[in-house]
Amino acid sequence: MADDNTYRIDIVDTGTVTALPDKTLLESLESHNIDVQYHCREGFCGACRTKLIEGSVDYNTDPLAFIDDDEILPCCCVAKSDIKIQID
Amino acid sequence: MKYTTFNQQNVNQLDEPMFFGNPVNVARYDQQKHSIFEKLIEKQISFFWRPEEVDVSRDQVDFQKLTESEKHIFISNLKYQTLLDSVQGRSPNIAFLPIISLPELETWVETWSFFETIHSRSYTHILRNLFTDPSSIFEDIVVNDEIKRRATDISKYYDDLIYATQLWQTQGEGVYTNDGEAYPVNMRELKKKLYLCMNSVNALEAIRFYVSFACTFAFAERELMEGNSKIIRLIARDENLHLTSTQHILNLWAKGKDDPEMAEIAEECADEAKAIFMKAVEQEKQWAEYLFQHGSMIGLNKEILCQYVEYIANQRMAVIGMGQPYDVTSNPLPWMNNYLISDNVQVAPQESEISSYLVGQIDSSVSEDDFADFEL
Repeated sequence: MADDNTYRIDIVDTGTVTALPDKTLLESLESHNIDVQYHCREGFCGACRTKLIEGSVDYNTDPLAFIDDDEILPCCCVAKSDIKIQID
Repeated sequence: MKYTTFNQQNVNQLDEPMFFGNPVNVARYDQQKHSIFEKLIEKQISFFWRPEEVDVSRDQVDFQKLTESEKHIFISNLKYQTLLDSVQGRSPNIAFLPIISLPELETWVETWSFFETIHSRSYTHILRNLFTDPSSIFEDIVVNDEIKRRATDISKYYDDLIYATQLWQTQGEGVYTNDGEAYPVNMRELKKKLYLCMNSVNALEAIRFYVSFACTFAFAERELMEGNSKIIRLIARDENLHLTSTQHILNLWAKGKDDPEMAEIAEECADEAKAIFMKAVEQEKQWAEYLFQHGSMIGLNKEILCQYVEYIANQRMAVIGMGQPYDVTSNPLPWMNNYLISDNVQVAPQESEISSYLVGQIDSSVSEDDFADFEL
């Protein structure tokens, strides 16, 4: 965990950024100019599907889109620990 | 097996597969074998909208300003979308309902189809506004070769499944001959037809609308035909949800979480299923070529549209374990995403056109803290 109670997001082949408090993971990534594909931003379309390699997330909205066991939907979740993800 | 509208046998619905188990009897939703379909029903109902709520009257003025090639693009897309939703407004009902065994899936399919009929009604709403008599547009849908070719591919898998189901439900398993052609009917064949049909529907929801959507939103980027764009946004939001449902069905099968025989069939028919998807991609790219045959439109051309189709095909094929066969890694039309955000679709109730009807807005839970600043 970083000093100010925020979590680190390690993006494979890109670098490490800090998760913004009160923002979804997708918004945190966008604030650091990291492009993630999205459509609905509400968890039902699955366009932002991303691989979670380490750590865990919490969902603010029940994700309806199909995601595999090792995948997350950044549009409707927040980091619950330092995490490592892979964006295709 | 004969279909019955109320199966009097007592069956445990939690033990039934999605398809080809016992016919559904009690429509109950307090328990679900696959809860995702119940959630999709709720989400879809919260999206309810009526075409008449969207004011398309200003589009008439814009339409007159379009070049001839742009008019061709606009009208052809509406024709193609009308075809797609004509098929989708009835086919899931006719093909899937007679063989579904779970109440939540049955109601999901009915809800899904109902929304496709709203889409069909919205095309009439758009066309009636542009033309005093839109008959010639509708009539061309069944004679236009470009559209007919796609109609054949879309309806073929549904028709095959429907015919085989009819034979099975009226005559049982066996080999039947009609017009000199033999039709073997057994459970394995039926399930294969169902698997291929579901893949064809998945490809339709995933790919077939997107060239038309891109053109509509490209007009909107130039502040043209904005009423139409508003309607297409609502349609795109619904289609995204429908796609989610077919992706869930295909993955439940493939991962062995439903009918184990369907997992075998998914493996056996993997190449055929992939070919169905990739043919839809090819046809969508050919559609872009047809649209732009008289000239392109500002902000879009055939090449970039084809790249976009390949880009979303990669994503949508990956979800169902088909890999990413196309060589496009970044989104060639990033502005498309702005039109596909669910939030942007909703409008405040005080605005004239209400398009989002939220359900369950009453919060009945009261905690002691709620009275903390309350004094007598």
